[in-house]
Amino acid sequence: MECGRHSDIELLPLTELTSVEGSAGDFTVTLEQKPRYVDPALCIACGACAEKCPKSVKNAFDEGFADRKAAYILYEQAVPLKYALDPDHCIYLQKGKCRACEKICPTQAIRFDDQPKIIKAHVGAILAAPGFKPFNPTVCEPYGYGVIPDVVTGMEYERLLSSSGPCHGHLTRPSDKTEPRSVAWLQCVGSRTTTGAGSPACSSVCCMYALKQAVMTGAHTKGAPDLSIFFMDLRTHGKGFEEYGESAKAKGVKLIRCRPHSFLPGPEGKGVDIRWADETGQEQRRTFDLAVLSVGLAPPRDASDLAAKLGLTLDERGFAKTSGFDPTAASKPGVFVSGCFHSPMDIPTSVVMASAAASAAAKTLAQSRGTLIPAKVTPPVTDVSGETPRVGVFVCSCGTNIAGVVDVAGVVEYARTLPYVAHVENNLFSCSQDTQGRIIQAIRDQSLNRVVIAACTPRTHEPLFRETLMAAGLNKYLVEMANIRNQNSWVHADEPEAATTKAKDLTRMAVARVVRLKPLVEKTLSVNNAALVLGAGVAGMTAALDLADQGFPVTLVERADCLGGNARSLRTTSRGERIADFLSDLALKVRSHDRVTVLTEANLTHVEGFVGHFTSTVRQGRTSLKIEHGAAILATGAVQTRPKEYCYGRHPAIMTHLEMDRALTEGLDPHTIHEAVFIQCVGSREPARPWCSRVCCTHAVKLALHFKEKNPNCRVAVLYRDMRTYGERELLYHKARKLGVLFVRYELGAKPRVSIKNGGVRVIVRDHVLDRDLEFRPDVLGLAAAIAPPDTDKVSRMFKVSTDAHGWYQEAHVKLRPVDFATDGVFLAGMAHGPKALDEALAQAQAAAARAAQILCQTEMTLSGITAQVAEAKCVGCKMCVTICPFKAIAMNDKNLAEVNEAMCKGCGLCTGSCRSSAIALRGFTDQDLMAQIGAMFSDQESRP
Amino acid sequence: MARKAKVEAKAPVGAVLVVGGGIAGIQSSLDLANAGFKVWLVEKGPGIGGVMARLDKTFPTNDCAM
Amino acid sequence: MMKPLTPIQPYAPRIAAMFCNWCTYAGADLAGVSRLQYPANFRVVRVPCTGRISAEMILHAFKQGADGVWVSGCHPGSCHYLEGNLYARRRFALLKNILEYAGLEPGRLHFSWISSSEATKFQETAIAVVETVRALGPATGFLAGIRREVA
Repeated sequence: MECGRHSDIELLPLTELTSVEGSAGDFTVTLEQKPRYVDPALCIACGACAEKCPKSVKNAFDEGFADRKAAYILYEQAVPLKYALDPDHCIYLQKGKCRACEKICPTQAIRFDDQPKIIKAHVGAILAAPGFKPFNPTVCEPYGYGVIPDVVTGMEYERLLSSSGPCHGHLTRPSDKTEPRSVAWLQCVGSRTTTGAGSPACSSVCCMYALKQAVMTGAHTKGAPDLSIFFMDLRTHGKGFEEYGESAKAKGVKLIRCRPHSFLPGPEGKGVDIRWADETGQEQRRTFDLAVLSVGLAPPRDASDLAAKLGLTLDERGFAKTSGFDPTAASKPGVFVSGCFHSPMDIPTSVVMASAAASAAAKTLAQSRGTLIPAKVTPPVTDVSGETPRVGVFVCSCGTNIAGVVDVAGVVEYARTLPYVAHVENNLFSCSQDTQGRIIQAIRDQSLNRVVIAACTPRTHEPLFRETLMAAGLNKYLVEMANIRNQNSWVHADEPEAATTKAKDLTRMAVARVVRLKPLVEKTLSVNNAALVLGAGVAGMTAALDLADQGFPVTLVERADCLGGNARSLRTTSRGERIADFLSDLALKVRSHDRVTVLTEANLTHVEGFVGHFTSTVRQGRTSLKIEHGAAILATGAVQTRPKEYCYGRHPAIMTHLEMDRALTEGLDPHTIHEAVFIQCVGSREPARPWCSRVCCTHAVKLALHFKEKNPNCRVAVLYRDMRTYGERELLYHKARKLGVLFVRYELGAKPRVSIKNGGVRVIVRDHVLDRDLEFRPDVLGLAAAIAPPDTDKVSRMFKVSTDAHGWYQEAHVKLRPVDFATDGVFLAGMAHGPKALDEALAQAQAAAARAAQILCQTEMTLSGITAQVAEAKCVGCKMCVTICPFKAIAMNDKNLAEVNEAMCKGCGLCTGSCRSSAIALRGFTDQDLMAQIGAMFSDQESRP
Repeated sequence: MARKAKVEAKAPVGAVLVVGGGIAGIQSSLDLANAGFKVWLVEKGPGIGGVMARLDKTFPTNDCAM
Repeated sequence: MMKPLTPIQPYAPRIAAMFCNWCTYAGADLAGVSRLQYPANFRVVRVPCTGRISAEMILHAFKQGADGVWVSGCHPGSCHYLEGNLYARRRFALLKNILEYAGLEPGRLHFSWISSSEATKFQETAIAVVETVRALGPATGFLAGIRREVA
């Protein structure tokens, strides 16, 4: 992860916040860092300490299913990848004897006298993201957790499934370590419950994680295991989730709608005997090999403690108190929250919230941007092009990690015989500070112009050695690493001869490659610091305002004649906050901000350029405006579809949700309504529109409550397929049921029937539980009309961004880059990405602003040197590369030959690999480089038979 | 009153404290650092990654959580 | 000057491996961190993406003396470059068909998807690839033919 190497992030593990003083803009925070007992500057993560450590401890990371030592790393890819001693279990720290790790450590990194450190820092803002705690189901006695060995929690099951977990990817159950042939999931454990422990709210994520686990179980096990999920409502309301659920069903995952009443140990204490009553009331029982409790997310253990230190108010469930209109702002100015501390949420939402919190914090600190980070200086580079290669080879012993297996001296001697090699030396640790000095010295003294480091993996250490080359005045691309540790000495520990031969081969291959490498130039591009925001709904306005508040000029382009978009029809948020007031306030702020230019009744007609340098043409009336900008945020919204069923349009009492909201705002008196019916999923979750429209369940419940509260005698019914009042919205659903709102479930195959009789509306629906038809004669019928993407074809083509199969904007990565497009410099926000509630659209807009700000705050951008290059003489103009480039970085020039835009090229080499006439070279990975490396693999074999 | 105005006029500190090294804390830290702010990222445990590092695969793409 | 390989086993196949930087190369690193042992019969060339690998590179490896070639990248859908591995998959499926049609024994050219966290899968696949090629023995037929061409 980039975080560990970012020069402006001070990463403090084992650290807790102890106190906070001051106020927004100027906090003094006191941090206490617990002793690690390992000097991170010296630890090379060789693992010798853990191997030697005599003390085994249950590994909490693996949910206690596996052991670790008292000297440990969190997991194999941990950042920082440094060992630590666990003071609660270390024999020496507990009893004063042992010190085995100290003796074995090759770098003398063990520090038994390590002391806690107190760190004071001045900060302008504080972001709290302490995460969550999975609900502990020990208190739910009927489920036998902690008693029946084959009942595990969802979190535990993640580790059992994980390829890096205790089962190494071969799923086994805890009781007898055999592969389960049948697995049951029980949803809503500790969520949606009003009895005992647990929360009345929904945890939002469990339906999806159970589905995912079921699908992965199918993939991890042989044959066709029996996978059953016991659920109440299937909540697959996120983007792409409904389709995932459908594909899970198609893969044989069984969904059983009920809550089993008892879990008993299976025969011989293995497996679980589950009993339930099915929808018709029939008693059922079946023995499953394994049962997974889909536990909900509770506030983190130290939430109240952290809240006290930060001076924050928590809500009644223990999460941070926030508002629907400023979702990341905590109750104290200058403090922002994100992730599950806000409320239970999934990964993409957490990432969006985290970026949104970053934007909210950046807004308050904008004038001090760049004041506390050191300016980057690049040392001058010697030009070595044209020189005969002089290679320096540095062979690392890595203590005994390499030298314990590989004959390092032999590799050194061998390297001396290789062509162009001018200098070879062996280092105990090539990565150590003093070796860096020696490498720099050798480069200068011996006039080396290429370097090979035979050590660990380039994935972690190439950046370090590139810096070393830069410090020595060499172009940083002239280094190559031979991975003789991770992919050699560590994996061929019992074959020293083979490992030594392999180390020689890898070194020879690296030398063959490095002598052909050319210095690569990292071009810089100036960046226009203005932004263009397309669409002035809540998302667009919020994004524009956030960027303007951060100091960037913004042009906000809206097709309609006013600001506000869909939100203009909405009455309140799920928390009951009035949207109209918020909206007019937001529009006023946007209109009056001196850095925001608002263009209404304006259409985008043309876009040129790329990240840092866009020129967009906007037509407003008869005039065309050219707008220069460095980044763009697309917030073009979504539309409510016009229902084609349920007699919509044939009677004034039949309305969509938006129409009903508007009618209520415009004077429809709820006291006059004696019967109200809502039909859900009108046009959503059907083959034509397979997605869930996400907001309608909550909206219907909100409207139902409104009618019921204004007129308690009103008969209100919601006809639904699955109630998806996710998160705290569940509380509304709960309240509605308590007040007597009738909820009737229907199946896709047996939809409610609506007719108009004698001027009135009649609705008939089959009640599953009673197994008979129910009839309603409502005064109002609310239809949850599907939300669909607007026609974004033109816009997406202009910005060269993708949409998914349904026409929603496609983010670069569903989890990790939820508001970025794959195209650099273009971001997305709001419903154009998929249906979402107002607070979610708002957070996404702030997140998009945070991401765009990272481009806009630079005066110039440095591009990678590894980019594709077209040899025009060879190009035949077949356009294969233009079609294939995932980043649309290649276009045909005026000579009808391919031309690469280096600003957009990411260096994947797809074009190079597929060019029919070998006309495209990927700098740093040219055919010559790679062919030489492949050729060198076998160049020792003349003497082989 | 006058003193308060003076305090407000002072430029804020261009640094941020992020509490929690899970995916949310990491994302906020990167966003802020890339936007020109100094970041202090504190994590209780010995390494960052939070819960996501413990997950097997993630939906809907089933790609690994790393 | 160059020393011959010390034969560790009666027949030690030589396999050229080409891994993408983001998934399989990382998975191989993780296998190292986890100390998962596998045979030392292949040498790895690191590329940004399996999509960078051309048919020529694979043929070159065979011509130069590889008894087998193993290409591995990210799972479909997790390509660091969005869809590079999908193009690679199509390209290699074709190549494999053509080569096997021309007489290359199935099993000499191997493709896999291994993510950065699948250390165990990496180890298992490494063992399987080496054993498959070992069972096929030294280059004969088609492979010997293209090598003679070079020589």
